[in-house]
Amino acid sequence: MIVGQRGWQHRAAIVLFLGPSLVPLLLFTVGPMVASVGLSLLNWNLLRPPEFVGLANYERLVGDANFREAVIHTVGYVAGYLPLVVVGGMLIALALNQRLRGLALFRTAYFLPVVTSWVVVALMWRWLLDPGAGVVNYALGLIGIDGPGWYTDPAWAMPSVIIASAWKDLGFVMVILLAGLQAIPEEYYQAASVDGAARWARFRHITLPLLTPSLFFVLVISLINNLQVFDQVWVMTKGGPAGETSVVVEQIVTNAFSYGQMGYAAAMSWVFFVVLLGITLVQFRLQRRWVTYD
Amino acid sequence: MTELTGTITALTAGIRLRGGRRLYRAVLYTLLGAGAAAMIFPFLWMLSTSFQSDGALLVPPPRLIPSPIETGNYAKIAEAFPLWRFLLNSVVVAVVSTVLQVATSAMAAYAFARLRFRGRDALFLLYIATLMIPLQVTIMPLFVEMRYLGFIDSYPGLVLPSIASAFGTFLLRQAFLGLPRELEEAAFMDGAGHVTVFRRIVLPLAMPALATFAIFAFMASWNSFLWPLIIVNSPDLMTLPVGLSNLQGRYATSWNLLMAGSTVAVLPILIVYAVGQKYVIRGVTLTGLKG
Amino acid sequence: MRSLSRALAAIAATAILAGACTGATTQPSATPGGASPSAASAAPASPAPSAQAEDVTLTYFTFSAAPDHLEDLDAIVQAFEQKHPNISIEVQTAAYADYFTKLQTQVAGGSAPDTFELNYENSVAYANSGALLDLTPLAAGDSDFDPSVYYPKAYEVFSADGKQFGVPEQFSDVVLFYNKDLFDAAGVAYPDASWTWTDEQAAAEQLTDKANGIWGHFQPIQFFEFYKVLAQNGGSFFNEDQTKSTFNDAKGVEAAEWLIGKLDKTMPSDAFGPDQDSALFKSGKLAMWHTGIWLFSALADAPFTWDISVEPGNVQKAHHFFANAVVASASTEHPAEAWAWLRFLTSSDEAVKVRLDASWELAAVADQSLFAPYLSQTPPENREAVFEALSDIVTPPVIEQQQQMQDIVTQALEKARLGQVSVPDALNEAATQVDALLQ
Repeated sequence: MIVGQRGWQHRAAIVLFLGPSLVPLLLFTVGPMVASVGLSLLNWNLLRPPEFVGLANYERLVGDANFREAVIHTVGYVAGYLPLVVVGGMLIALALNQRLRGLALFRTAYFLPVVTSWVVVALMWRWLLDPGAGVVNYALGLIGIDGPGWYTDPAWAMPSVIIASAWKDLGFVMVILLAGLQAIPEEYYQAASVDGAARWARFRHITLPLLTPSLFFVLVISLINNLQVFDQVWVMTKGGPAGETSVVVEQIVTNAFSYGQMGYAAAMSWVFFVVLLGITLVQFRLQRRWVTYD
Repeated sequence: MTELTGTITALTAGIRLRGGRRLYRAVLYTLLGAGAAAMIFPFLWMLSTSFQSDGALLVPPPRLIPSPIETGNYAKIAEAFPLWRFLLNSVVVAVVSTVLQVATSAMAAYAFARLRFRGRDALFLLYIATLMIPLQVTIMPLFVEMRYLGFIDSYPGLVLPSIASAFGTFLLRQAFLGLPRELEEAAFMDGAGHVTVFRRIVLPLAMPALATFAIFAFMASWNSFLWPLIIVNSPDLMTLPVGLSNLQGRYATSWNLLMAGSTVAVLPILIVYAVGQKYVIRGVTLTGLKG
Repeated sequence: MRSLSRALAAIAATAILAGACTGATTQPSATPGGASPSAASAAPASPAPSAQAEDVTLTYFTFSAAPDHLEDLDAIVQAFEQKHPNISIEVQTAAYADYFTKLQTQVAGGSAPDTFELNYENSVAYANSGALLDLTPLAAGDSDFDPSVYYPKAYEVFSADGKQFGVPEQFSDVVLFYNKDLFDAAGVAYPDASWTWTDEQAAAEQLTDKANGIWGHFQPIQFFEFYKVLAQNGGSFFNEDQTKSTFNDAKGVEAAEWLIGKLDKTMPSDAFGPDQDSALFKSGKLAMWHTGIWLFSALADAPFTWDISVEPGNVQKAHHFFANAVVASASTEHPAEAWAWLRFLTSSDEAVKVRLDASWELAAVADQSLFAPYLSQTPPENREAVFEALSDIVTPPVIEQQQQMQDIVTQALEKARLGQVSVPDALNEAATQVDALLQ
């Protein structure tokens, strides 16, 4: 309970503290968002005057096979990506939460990909995974394995994108989980070692529960960001081959700027927005079931 | 799951039994080293490619040490583009928006973590919801808005859309929620107001969290591409990513030049991280991440 | 209070720094009014285009200048500004991949550049939508303008319904590149104008040496190659009045099969990565390559001898024609000045010379004598093939939903290539989708 505040002071504080972020957010983010609802009611190629079409864009969305495919690919991407970064990030965080030589070096190395722009990272991966001149297939060739076509092969294209994405984001998850790990007081472990608890049991009964708030944070942010996966797809595969890596935001961008259908793209975004918001709300609801706060 | 637990327990026990603390360490270092190499390798590749000559490029087998070493790629970029100008623009935009984002997000985070008011949760959800519409869809209205404000092709146009951050507000709110309240309550008893408590108690305690977010904010601004591409016309105002995107040809791209450009673009941010990384680790620690 | 005031001071300092930088943008190349085009566009429009004495700043947005021809464009701009001291040109560049995103946003946002570049395929949507200035009256009112300075085909593709909406700037075509050393080693006769698909295939089979990683030929499997081989096969993409697709008929199927059938036999199947075909050819592992003349300079110092030939046809010859035009925005406040700039940029002696000297594609002018210095350069020995190819050029089918159509066809070919569907099925499905776009 916070004491010592009068009504007007309280209200002034709310305005003072929220204003500097709320005003620009309303002006430069929420405003354009609301305007984009208007866009979704238009048929507009951005070149000629727009034409009002009511809910036609939303109706069209129902029967759009490309959009349906894109949703499936997006879900597939997240299903492959999320376990990789969460489990991978956790393992690295656990490993780097010990007293090791060269700790700073390791932590920097694993964080390196996070700070690099997707344009560069995707280009590098496209390069590394190049079926002909790429290093990965060259290395595989040295040990006698005939490497796949990676992003040129429909079966391997999405895995290629997932590998590159996970590689890039491991460091982000690691930093957040590492922080969560370091926040766990030593005493908990000391008490446990008196009990002679094994490594796994300590992890299962002390580390993991106390890490759930961090995991929750990672899941919420990762889902919001990665259901909107776009940059890596755009630079690595452009949605190909044969549309096998076409994802939702890629469809939105293509329709908005390549196909001259800004209104349709806006309608897609808003349908997808409802899904994202729903998922986030469910996550907040469910957190009571598995997230342990002390 | 229990099977796996059993196996791991047995394995760990096995290692212990053989007096395998050293073995465990050896395995750990090997795995971590291999992972770190996989993280660093693409950077070496980028660096190496930036020193390749046109001819040697792409000729299999790939070589990590370029031969011959071509140092002219960097000079070529600097010749073709006002590279220092791009760099300066990027620094100005990144610094200004980082400072403003940290300030505005910290204040909002304080409101969400410490002030009680009706509709707080809904408002917080609105903040998070701003992360859920792709910029490509809102960019048109935003551009029109900037045109009415007269900010096309200007620094304000570049910076204004990123002076508040929902991500930062979320991150810092979690940090503030994890701070002990005893100090604050004592201050209130002494008659301090929210401004004093925020400045004197919350901010200093959350300094590492602020540093963490500062790095993320700097990164986001430094790498942002679409908005600067749209809003800026003159080369004098281009940021590094936008300026360097001109290296991509319509039919073919000089990869060695592109990688040289990318190296130039990555270095400053690596420096920022190197300086701030101590705070990042310690920083997120103190955030506590409590919902 | 101290730390907050320090933070505020920092913000203020940075803001001032930013302001100082904006003020400092008047570099030699920038013009006095150039720093704030937004202010310029907010000023009331001058209705009389005859405002000759008035200083005018025109913006010009281009994708073809960066990264290699920025200086060449600068030279053209300077030559123009010398002739027209009251007009200054403000150049804006973007990579082709980002160009249209930015251009569309600007057009939609009511701040289109005064003049800009469009490739032929994308130009139709802009013209149909009324985004472009009709240049016909300006051309007619310009007493010393003669459209015959332009290469006729290039000039005429940028008109519709009797309106000229752009002037041709430059063009390229696609020919057959070949590695002479590989032909010599295999004892195969060089390609010539008499070649057909059958000859190419026969040669490719003799040249392919998989053990040594050498492939006979390469041709991308996508929309632009498809419509061209379709034409070589005597087919057509649409019916006469462009209301229905016809590319899925027997001729179309045969054309697509010609593209796809070579895969893995004489044409590498994994060469779809970034610049893979280029890498293969440059490293001497590809005997024949269907690609554009823009690669001449990139191949100038290849460690083997190479040359070009016109492309083999089937029932007839057909060569792909790429053309870019420069256009003016319908909303420009300075149509007269814009016209002067567009004309200069495309057909003035100065501009043509700069372009040809720099091998910046080919200036779209009719006077063949101007090309003499271009033709005398080697390699390739047979540079004339660039112009020989023009005698039977075809332009791609163009509709308003251009990109969508291209994607549909390319994706259908891709599905057929990957064996996901048969060639006829893939083309039929694509035809249905394309027909829907024509509605």
